[in-house]
Amino acid sequence: MKESTGTGATAEPAIRVEGIKVRQPSTGRTLLSEVSFEVAAGESVAIVGESGSGKSLTVRAMLGLLPQGLEATGQVRIAGERVDDDPRARRRQRGGVVSLLMQDPFTLLNPLRRAGRQIADGLPKGADAAVEVPRLLAEVGLPANVAGRYPFQLSGGMRQRIGLAAALAGGPRVLVADEPTTALDATTQREVLSLIRRVQRERDMAFVLITHDLRLAFSTCDRVMVMYAGRVMETGSAAAVRHEQFHPYTRALLAAEPPADRRLAVIPSVPGAVPAHDAAAGRCGFADRCSLAVPECRTGVPEPRPVRVSGNVREGRLSACLRAAELPAPPAPEPGVVSRPPVAAEPVLEVRDLRRWFAGSPHPALAGVSLTVAPGEVVGVVGESGSGKTTLARCVAGLERPDGGAILLGGADCSDYGRMGRAAVRQARRISQMIFQDPYSTLNPARTVGATLREALWADGRPAGPDDLARLLESVGLARDMAGMRPAGLSGGERQRVAIARAVAGEPRLLICDEPVSALDVSVQAQVLGLLAELRERLSMAMLFITHDLAVVRQIADRLYVLESGTCVETGLADRVLDAPEHPYTRTLLASVPDGSGDWLD
Amino acid sequence: MRGRFPAVARRRPQVAVAGALAVLLAVAVAAVLSPWLVPGATDQDLVLGITGPVPGHPLGTDDLGRDVLELLVAGARTAVPGALCVAAGSMLIGNLIGLPAGYFGGWADALAMRWADLMFSLPALLVAIVVAGVLGGGYGLAVAVLVVLFAPTDTRVVRGAVLEQRHRPYVEAALLKNLSAWRIMTRQIWPNIASVTLANGFLNFAYALVSLASLSFLGLGVPAGSPDWGRTLADNRAQLLVNPWAVVAPGLAIILTAAALNIVGDWLHERVDRRGRAR
Repeated sequence: MKESTGTGATAEPAIRVEGIKVRQPSTGRTLLSEVSFEVAAGESVAIVGESGSGKSLTVRAMLGLLPQGLEATGQVRIAGERVDDDPRARRRQRGGVVSLLMQDPFTLLNPLRRAGRQIADGLPKGADAAVEVPRLLAEVGLPANVAGRYPFQLSGGMRQRIGLAAALAGGPRVLVADEPTTALDATTQREVLSLIRRVQRERDMAFVLITHDLRLAFSTCDRVMVMYAGRVMETGSAAAVRHEQFHPYTRALLAAEPPADRRLAVIPSVPGAVPAHDAAAGRCGFADRCSLAVPECRTGVPEPRPVRVSGNVREGRLSACLRAAELPAPPAPEPGVVSRPPVAAEPVLEVRDLRRWFAGSPHPALAGVSLTVAPGEVVGVVGESGSGKTTLARCVAGLERPDGGAILLGGADCSDYGRMGRAAVRQARRISQMIFQDPYSTLNPARTVGATLREALWADGRPAGPDDLARLLESVGLARDMAGMRPAGLSGGERQRVAIARAVAGEPRLLICDEPVSALDVSVQAQVLGLLAELRERLSMAMLFITHDLAVVRQIADRLYVLESGTCVETGLADRVLDAPEHPYTRTLLASVPDGSGDWLD
Repeated sequence: MRGRFPAVARRRPQVAVAGALAVLLAVAVAAVLSPWLVPGATDQDLVLGITGPVPGHPLGTDDLGRDVLELLVAGARTAVPGALCVAAGSMLIGNLIGLPAGYFGGWADALAMRWADLMFSLPALLVAIVVAGVLGGGYGLAVAVLVVLFAPTDTRVVRGAVLEQRHRPYVEAALLKNLSAWRIMTRQIWPNIASVTLANGFLNFAYALVSLASLSFLGLGVPAGSPDWGRTLADNRAQLLVNPWAVVAPGLAIILTAAALNIVGDWLHERVDRRGRAR
């Protein structure tokens, strides 16, 4: 794509991938097809998509690291060498020419070996580890003495930096990173990405970033490639795609990511979910969810083609949409109501000076937190990992016993469930319910959706007949015939809906939400947030909304509490806190939200 | 890229499972129908005495002139029910102790685990031998002793599986619905660990089969002369050179049944487990 400067002739790109197709021979399924792209030396490209888009498979096929049972065809040239049919060339390149940075900083390092030795593993033969390891550590911004530490002595961000240093040890010309910061806190994410970008530019490496976050891709990379259902939908330079999208899916993806700087009336979400590649064979994969689809979209697979607007080719832009040139301007999202001040009534939840100190931990998880939730009010609790926000939620739910302080639910003392009588416990459980983060373990895998929800209705003292069950399912936007299914057959979003149905079966006055959307894809996240907002209106239910994501909390919370290391550093109406933060920590958190601009990492 | 990652279907060979199921079916049929299939299994033919395979006696006879094949078929009736009782009994005890131990933790757990430690420190077969020796032996006693000795393994397996489930959000959600501990243990947790206990039951069955055969071999299980795989093996070991089949055949029956049980147990575990897992 990018022509190298100075030489005059077109230099060989660092990566050239042509017509990659991944199949699973044992089932005859095709998982992705016709994926082609190039990355020039020194260029960074982000491959963006939701789960099921094929973004990780594309890169794994490129690197020859497909899981067993999958087979790839197509041409791959890395650093001028054709490698798709030459396993020996691949082995030669790995760790030298090509390097990979993994997603999870907590498992990428061997827990039994010191950091320095793990970096030294990647050094080329003959290199002096005593010289090279401190140099690499300095490059990733760590002091030399970190080399002697074990992974458990390092934070997540430091581990990811060690991972980067190890990936750089062989002097790669191509660096591939698979969601390198998804497991990190927002502030750490920004630091690590900024580091990766700096190193990439200094070393003039080709860089491929896999991410689900379009804004993050815009800020980190020169170009982006949006994938969906195993095909390329749109490519272009980050600035250009950010400015103008030529594929409805890119627009939908961008629109579904809630903004941190304003509240929307409704987060535009696309109904449905990403189809399997084969389910969209012979037509545009997005056609079924696309409001602009015409019959031709379903009669053939649109190839990514240069975008031509009123006769002029847009430089470097490809779109797989038949109507790329004639897409109407997207409607501006409607601004939502500003956050509402709490009603003057007895609070449904009152927490006074709550304290919890886990045995063996150097810091208290909660060092005296007080908060109130008025009836019908949505109170957001934000903070990074270790801030105590989840401990707070679990104490309120009675899953964790606080060391000190008081929790009042509907005026009744619920600080210690062990000392409460049966009737008091039942009363407390009917007032508050909870939904959890992980959609995969929140439902009992051995029981059907119907059995789970019937039990919830029964436990909350509601009638649990077939009609009641159907009504409950419909109230969370699920079809009644889903009752017979087991969680394994449901998508993440559907599971979270069932979990929400279970929690609201008895119409609780307070719903505790512990990161309810952070494990979901953006388009599904928008759907679930919409559902929560709707339920809150209909049941006039209060919420204690725990999250690390300021953009999400902006869309739903009336008031905010910002937690840092177990203490509340700032509180107020959500709009006030996010528009005019008073505490430096709140400001740091706000600055860590990707805004999509190219200078976000500077 | 072709050939770099050959598509390997990582599955248990279907032939092995089919073979194992066939072996188990044959053993089950022999155990149930042996009085009708081989009514004269213990009839002696002292004139014939011991011999290798001859027409009419495909596996030869033992030193009392009894047909080895018939003894083998009749022996299933003694060997299998006892092992079944051991597996089922220890599974029941294991669940009854292991579920609350894992669920409640604390002193209930400590008590159960110290009991298990104590039981583990005793050599199972030796205890069985001593008890059988002191109380005079007998098949029922051998089975009862083995149940008690096997139960700690089941308890630990169940407890471990419960601990893994205990802090899953679905259990916490059930707690928040104010469901009783009993209901959570039986309706929420147990269905998720059933496959583990079942697989362990199959292993125990195989192990009990061998243990009971060993006890019979040592003369502490069934009375001498009864048709039982371990007993037949023991009785004929002196005649190994005259009719090796009288020793090899019951030995093979024990090994084959135990191996078949393991294969089927694993296979069932995988099948049941796959049901609940995300694809």
